Amino acid sequence: MAPTISNTSMLFLIVFVLIPVSLSYMYSLGLGKSITWSSLRGVIQLFLIGYILTYLFALPPLTGISIMLLVMITIATFHASKKGEGIPKVRLMIFLIILGVELMILSMWIGFGMISFTSEQVIPMSGMVIGNSMVAIGLALERMKSEFREGKGKIVAALSLGAKPQQASKIIIRKIVKAAMIPNVDGLKTVGLVQLPGMMTGLILGGVAPIDAIRYQIVISLSIFTCVSISAMLVTIALYRYFFNKNMQLIDIKSEA
Amino acid sequence: MNETNVIKVENVTTDRIFNISFELSLGEITAVIGPSGAGKSSLLTLLNRLTDPQKGDIFYYGKQLTTYPIIDLRRRIGMAFQSSSLFDGTVEDNLKFGPSLVGKWKKANGPLLLEKVQLPKDYLYRDVEHLSGGEQQRVALARTLANDPEIFLLDEVTSALDLQTVETIEKLLVQLAKEENKGIAMVTHNIEQAKRISDKVIFMENGTILEQGKTVDLLGTPQTEQLQKFLKE
Ligand SMILES: Nc1ncnc2c1ncn2[C@@H]1O[C@H](COP(=O)(O)OP(=O)(O)OP(=O)(O)O)[C@@H](O)[C@H]1O
Ligand SMILES: [Mg+2]
Repeated sequence: MAPTISNTSMLFLIVFVLIPVSLSYMYSLGLGKSITWSSLRGVIQLFLIGYILTYLFALPPLTGISIMLLVMITIATFHASKKGEGIPKVRLMIFLIILGVELMILSMWIGFGMISFTSEQVIPMSGMVIGNSMVAIGLALERMKSEFREGKGKIVAALSLGAKPQQASKIIIRKIVKAAMIPNVDGLKTVGLVQLPGMMTGLILGGVAPIDAIRYQIVISLSIFTCVSISAMLVTIALYRYFFNKNMQLIDIKSEA
Repeated sequence: MNETNVIKVENVTTDRIFNISFELSLGEITAVIGPSGAGKSSLLTLLNRLTDPQKGDIFYYGKQLTTYPIIDLRRRIGMAFQSSSLFDGTVEDNLKFGPSLVGKWKKANGPLLLEKVQLPKDYLYRDVEHLSGGEQQRVALARTLANDPEIFLLDEVTSALDLQTVETIEKLLVQLAKEENKGIAMVTHNIEQAKRISDKVIFMENGTILEQGKTVDLLGTPQTEQLQKFLKE
């Protein structure tokens, strides 16, 4: 079992908060309040999640995992859909996409015997996949709006040549998916060289041999890669149609110069 | 209905143009002129249904424009745009876009299309990003030609060209109208161009048509104060 950090040691963390707070006062950065507040909030959130996970881990795996996945996906949905405000049904679509992607990767993990269906393994791994998909979907949505704005001339030209909205959107979907994938591609290039990835760090701290820890890390890194690309592609495919009306006209064309 | 007037616009209003009526015929070039912001581009987009009127009717061969399947309609009434709207990729990628949608692209079409707009054949495989403004404009026109539409909506397609190339494109347009019996509506800022090649002129200002008629009449003896002023500038 991994060694525990004692309560006394934890109390000393106040020092870690006091340092940036005093710096903030010294240079009148005005950040004192928000540093204190966000630290406190973070601590409370983590303690809460600690207790919740302890509770969930005690439940039968199917129940615990279902509850936690549902909560994580819901929160990720709300977060990602902020970037897509004004697109109808964006929440429902994003929820279904993240759910689908999570179920797909989960069945692959289990099917290929990479992890077992226990709360301890499924919940943390899923959290990473869901979190990364959330970020990718947010990026894709943002990029989608800007591509439809900046690439408007091209899309309208495609329509005028007889393209259906789907065919006209194809010319920008590539760019959107690419934009959403780039952070992960870049991340994989330096993985382990600059910063040990969080999960691997955790396993090593927990006493797992590095050579075993990297196996988990490889699985999760590549899983994230898969999920991120699929999420970005699906969100674009699911939502491009809302930029057009039923007469295959670009909706923006009337309202925006 | 006069059989040659294939497009008939009656009292059309949108958020940008007001109560507009005019007709377009096959075999004729109609120049649309007027100050910037007059609504010339907006007028063109109504005819291939990139936008729709809020009020009024547009007829094509005597039937409401809205009764035609929209994709076919856009292939028959082609448009070339004012600002560069080329797709990323090579010149050939752009030219084959329209025909490929219906499986009609032939490799041999590329050089023919380029010849029409006076670009060398080896431009086919160039990246459009590296073309000059005038070259891009001609590729855009060739891309519209590739669909072989019956009616052309051309939005300032010669504005970035040198005099000699303008002449070539003008010849092409006249040939399209007079020999191939196409209908052409072209927005231009160049009055001399309108005089040289158009049969009819529509003069717009502030979203309305102030004058329209035969080119010789309209540009020779302008009736409204606004057109007189516009021609002097
Ligand atoms: N997408 C749009 N949404 C709302 N208004 C627009 C849009 N595009 C243009 N307008 C406005 O509609 C009016 C007519 O614009 P339009 O582009 O049709 O003019 P134009 O005669 O083609 O001008 P130019 O000679 O500068 O090309 C202008 O006042 C313009 O600001
Ligand atoms: Mg214009």
